Amino acid sequence: MKRLLFLAAVFIIFPAASAKALELPQWHGFVEQDFGVRLSEDSPTKHRDYNLFEQRVQLKTRYAIPGVNILSRWNSVFTYKGDFVLDEYFQTTGSYQVRELNLAFSPAGILDIKAGRQVLTWGTGDYLFINDLFPKDYISFYIGRDDEYLKKSSDALRLSLYPKIVNIDFVLIPYFTPNTIPDGGRVSFFDSFQGEITGTDSNRNAVKPARQGRNMQYALRLYRTFGSTEGAFYYFRGFDPSPRSYLDEANHQLFYERLDVYGMSLRGPFLGGIGNAEMGYYRSRQDDHGDNRLVENSMLKWLLGYEKDLGNDLKVAAQYMFEQKLNYSKYKEALLSADYFWDEYRHLLTQRITKLYKNQTVMLGLFNFWSPSDKDGYLRLSCAYDLTDQWKLTVGFNLPWGEDDTTDFGMMQKNKNVFVRVRYSF
Amino acid sequence: MKKNIVFLALLLFAGNAIAQDLTVGEIVSKANSRSYYQGKDGSARANMVVTDAQGRIRQRQLTILKLNIQEGGDQKYYVYFHKPNDVKGMSYIVWKHLGKDDDRWLYLPAMDLVRRIAASDKRSSFAGTTFLYEDISGRSIDLDVHELLGGDGAFYTLKNTPKDAAAVEFSYYTVQIDKNNFIPMKAEYFDKSAKLYRIIEALEVKDIQGYPTITKMKATDLNANSHTVTEFSDVQYDLNLNSDIFTERFLRTPPQQWLKE
Repeated sequence: MKRLLFLAAVFIIFPAASAKALELPQWHGFVEQDFGVRLSEDSPTKHRDYNLFEQRVQLKTRYAIPGVNILSRWNSVFTYKGDFVLDEYFQTTGSYQVRELNLAFSPAGILDIKAGRQVLTWGTGDYLFINDLFPKDYISFYIGRDDEYLKKSSDALRLSLYPKIVNIDFVLIPYFTPNTIPDGGRVSFFDSFQGEITGTDSNRNAVKPARQGRNMQYALRLYRTFGSTEGAFYYFRGFDPSPRSYLDEANHQLFYERLDVYGMSLRGPFLGGIGNAEMGYYRSRQDDHGDNRLVENSMLKWLLGYEKDLGNDLKVAAQYMFEQKLNYSKYKEALLSADYFWDEYRHLLTQRITKLYKNQTVMLGLFNFWSPSDKDGYLRLSCAYDLTDQWKLTVGFNLPWGEDDTTDFGMMQKNKNVFVRVRYSF
Repeated sequence: MKKNIVFLALLLFAGNAIAQDLTVGEIVSKANSRSYYQGKDGSARANMVVTDAQGRIRQRQLTILKLNIQEGGDQKYYVYFHKPNDVKGMSYIVWKHLGKDDDRWLYLPAMDLVRRIAASDKRSSFAGTTFLYEDISGRSIDLDVHELLGGDGAFYTLKNTPKDAAAVEFSYYTVQIDKNNFIPMKAEYFDKSAKLYRIIEALEVKDIQGYPTITKMKATDLNANSHTVTEFSDVQYDLNLNSDIFTERFLRTPPQQWLKE
């Protein structure tokens, strides 16, 4: 009888289920424990012997809107992904982060729309970003969280158009989301106001652009393939996602200067592997002539990359990036004697080696950054083992180093760590 | 009646003549078409179960969409991963080319990242199973020298020797091809010391829309003492797949109508 009642209830509550098999959303995700031990001594951060200790539960679902309605006719898919994190480092009570919450649909044959919170990525670099100005979390990168967390999500409207000649992606981001960069609490860095590598003593702050119409950000990509080669043009109008300019020196205030980026890229088969080339012109709109010492100058960035499969599940890759600060002489003239100054050129090389063992269940990875001009670098080592389809164990090292405290990787030198992640996927 | 007998005799004779007149090249080409090029396009759900030497089991579940660009030549593949859960939602596109490296793209939805995959080694494991890329998308018949070892009974037995021995891990492989439908039923791979080390066999063949189709197959690695059984379900041919599916657009936005959960 109870069963009958239940069945009746089901048929009353879900009439669609009896008409046409209604697929309820499936939930997937993982539970993870992370732990990272510091390998650097005298870390000026909150905890001196570890920098990562957290439990994380991720839940995600993808749901194709069913039935006969306009949303299902437009192939609408609702996506949700959120993380519940217990961060023992800061001993917070737990935080809840929505990584994705969006609706994707195709109202016309050549148009896709994705509206809501989403992760956005484009460009050809490997851990190097020229035309991808979407927000990133560099703290996650340095302490050993999964690669997924290097990318932060944006609240955005993405329109993708597919006419015959060229594909067009247009992204509108109403509110600015900055990069998550070291602030001293967990990851130490060079604070120019303190004049040294700083941890909890840092009291600098960055002022975000106000939420108003003129501060909306736009990103555009035009791309297509020519045979096996992909070509793209990029345009970005918004703000530098990292605060590189000074608003108020006395009050240790930084700001995110306005930035336009014009760029292009090519990627395709090359010498038995995959080659890529990308460039970007960064126009610093608040310092057009380079004569304001407080505002970041315009820049040119170039990238060349190559990846090759050597067989037996061994892949190697290398990149070269060249950055040039424009109007350098004006920048130098404008500097005051006590100012820290940056070089005109920066050369950066990266190497990646990936080797799989045991039927691709064990992955050994090496990624190395090395800048001969900055005399610094950052070695990332990792070993991931899929014990079963559900359990995964990852161990890795983050080893930034540098001769100078002020360079990109040199300032991270007190954040060396070894980390362990255990993940159960469901 | 007499007429009928003559006709029957002619038919038998003709049938016999066709079978005997087939050259090795024709047999290989027919078997290749049967295995990889039936229909103008197709889709299937593959359930792959990997069993290692200790009896531990891993599962891969994916939807494969296929479009023939040129009979016996270029093809496009779209692969969507349903299982295991940590790769669920990833999609993969292969533009298969004969005579040059395939183009491959992998989409990682967690980072919204479209990666171009450098993959010149077609003899690496497919998704961590005992099957190799070449088992899934086919090995170009021009890469081997084919000899007919025997044609008695129900099978043609072919020996295939690579023209470029350094490019592969085997010294040769033999294939048994069903005379009735030209489906390769068993392939045996021999290493450089002529020891059998790898077997691929068709365990079940069904007629689907008039196309004889392998619906269950097994790959065994005798050295590692592991094997993978793949079962194909929901096999469909001639769906009129749009070639746009095999582009970055649908890599990022999986074509919902072809991917049932």
